[in-house]
Amino acid sequence: MTTEELALFVLGQQKVAVEAYYWWCTALMVIIHVGFLMYEVGATRMPNAVSSGVKNLLAFAFMIPTFWLFGWWIYWAFPGGFIPIMDAGLDLPGYGLPWHELSAPHLEDQETGVFWAAFTLFACTTASIFSGSVIERIRISAFTFLAVILGSVVWILGAAWGWHAGGWLVTKFGFHDAAAAGCVHTIAGLFAFGVLLNLGPRVGKYNEDGTMNELEGHSLVLSFVGLLTLIVGFFGFLGGCLIWPGVAVYDTASMVGVAGWTNIYGAPATLSSFVFNTLMGLSGGMIGAFWWSKGNPFWMMSGGLAGIFICAGGLDIWYPGFAFILGVVAGCVIIPANNWLHNTFKIDDCVGAVAIHGVCGILGMLAVGLFAAGYPSGEGIPASNLTGQIIGIFTMALLGFVPGYAISAIMKAGGWLRVPDHVQKAGIDKAELGLQAYHN
Amino acid sequence: MNTFPGKVENSWEGVGAYFTWAGSTGMLVLFTLVTAAICVGIIIAAANHESETDKNTQ
Repeated sequence: MTTEELALFVLGQQKVAVEAYYWWCTALMVIIHVGFLMYEVGATRMPNAVSSGVKNLLAFAFMIPTFWLFGWWIYWAFPGGFIPIMDAGLDLPGYGLPWHELSAPHLEDQETGVFWAAFTLFACTTASIFSGSVIERIRISAFTFLAVILGSVVWILGAAWGWHAGGWLVTKFGFHDAAAAGCVHTIAGLFAFGVLLNLGPRVGKYNEDGTMNELEGHSLVLSFVGLLTLIVGFFGFLGGCLIWPGVAVYDTASMVGVAGWTNIYGAPATLSSFVFNTLMGLSGGMIGAFWWSKGNPFWMMSGGLAGIFICAGGLDIWYPGFAFILGVVAGCVIIPANNWLHNTFKIDDCVGAVAIHGVCGILGMLAVGLFAAGYPSGEGIPASNLTGQIIGIFTMALLGFVPGYAISAIMKAGGWLRVPDHVQKAGIDKAELGLQAYHN
Repeated sequence: MNTFPGKVENSWEGVGAYFTWAGSTGMLVLFTLVTAAICVGIIIAAANHESETDKNTQ
């Protein structure tokens, strides 16, 4: 074998390995949706269980074509802010548009399809985060529309700004968010909060004197098994946040000779760092929430997720012992944060999504600024710093909240947001779908 | 309809994009628009069904 033949062989293996890696990350991420489905259906009361499941499945189904139509293009076109760049910074005019030749099968491009798929599943995950908070009283069509706005427009705009090596938050301020605490979790949590303010609570949630009733779901077991299933799927999500050696830019020739993984900013990272901190954050969150909730398995598993999300910003650089402590903090924070949000704003966040994703995402970004300032990033990017993280927090929070609140307010004014109270009382499954989840 | 984009019959020589209608931007835009229209149309249909349910349940 000549040197040229060997180089060609290695390049071929690299390309196939990239495809295989992100293919299986995508498959694992589908399991997130199995988990979300079980979690939300379990948290729903029996007369609405099917409609909660249908709503969740629709978020998944609609995200795929809409992310192909415009989500992928938004990621590549808007790293500089609101003014699009039409060559994606890659000297490929129109890259990401659905009619571009690389948005389809191409023998010279083995990366776009699998990266698009992984990002599509990130989008589905983001939309599903919002899904659980609004169950049992949002119109399915209204939810689907809002999910498309969140999953195929808003979060990916946040990703272009702060989860992209060319994003303005990154290149100007050194924003560091390795596993998407900001663009996925904070944006989804704050978007949900904005919608919840307009949507109102389920019938019977609040009494006239302002006191709150617990409207418990019909299957706690289904919910917490779903949450554990979700965590399995998140290994695909987090694995997909790393960039295969040499694919930091769209240049297959550069795939040979690059030593190891990078984070999304092109800085060195490892799967080992991710798994150390994912598992330690997970266990910290479960233990913290077990203690705070006095053994409630719903909050315990939610705490596990919150423990991962609070570590997400610095998932590549935390000391595992610190990741565990961050996880414990997340597990202890989510319940009082959820109670405060309910008592203060009279919202009805059925699964605690605002606290688990929104609050812990913000704390995760803040933690990087407080405890991991000074870490170098990719080429041409300032080191991580507290100012950059604070700017990132405000940007992501506003980017989630403002469209969620504004669009849902318009929908509310037009009578296209909430299931009428008499339909809620009749049971959405029977009234709208002619189905019921369980039979004698 | 044979939409194979290769220049040489029964050969992959010179082929990059190899999907159906790869050489016709008009067809690709058409499919894009149809995809978008289906997504919008289904959401509108679902909203209409919900409004009907509202009336029928009162």
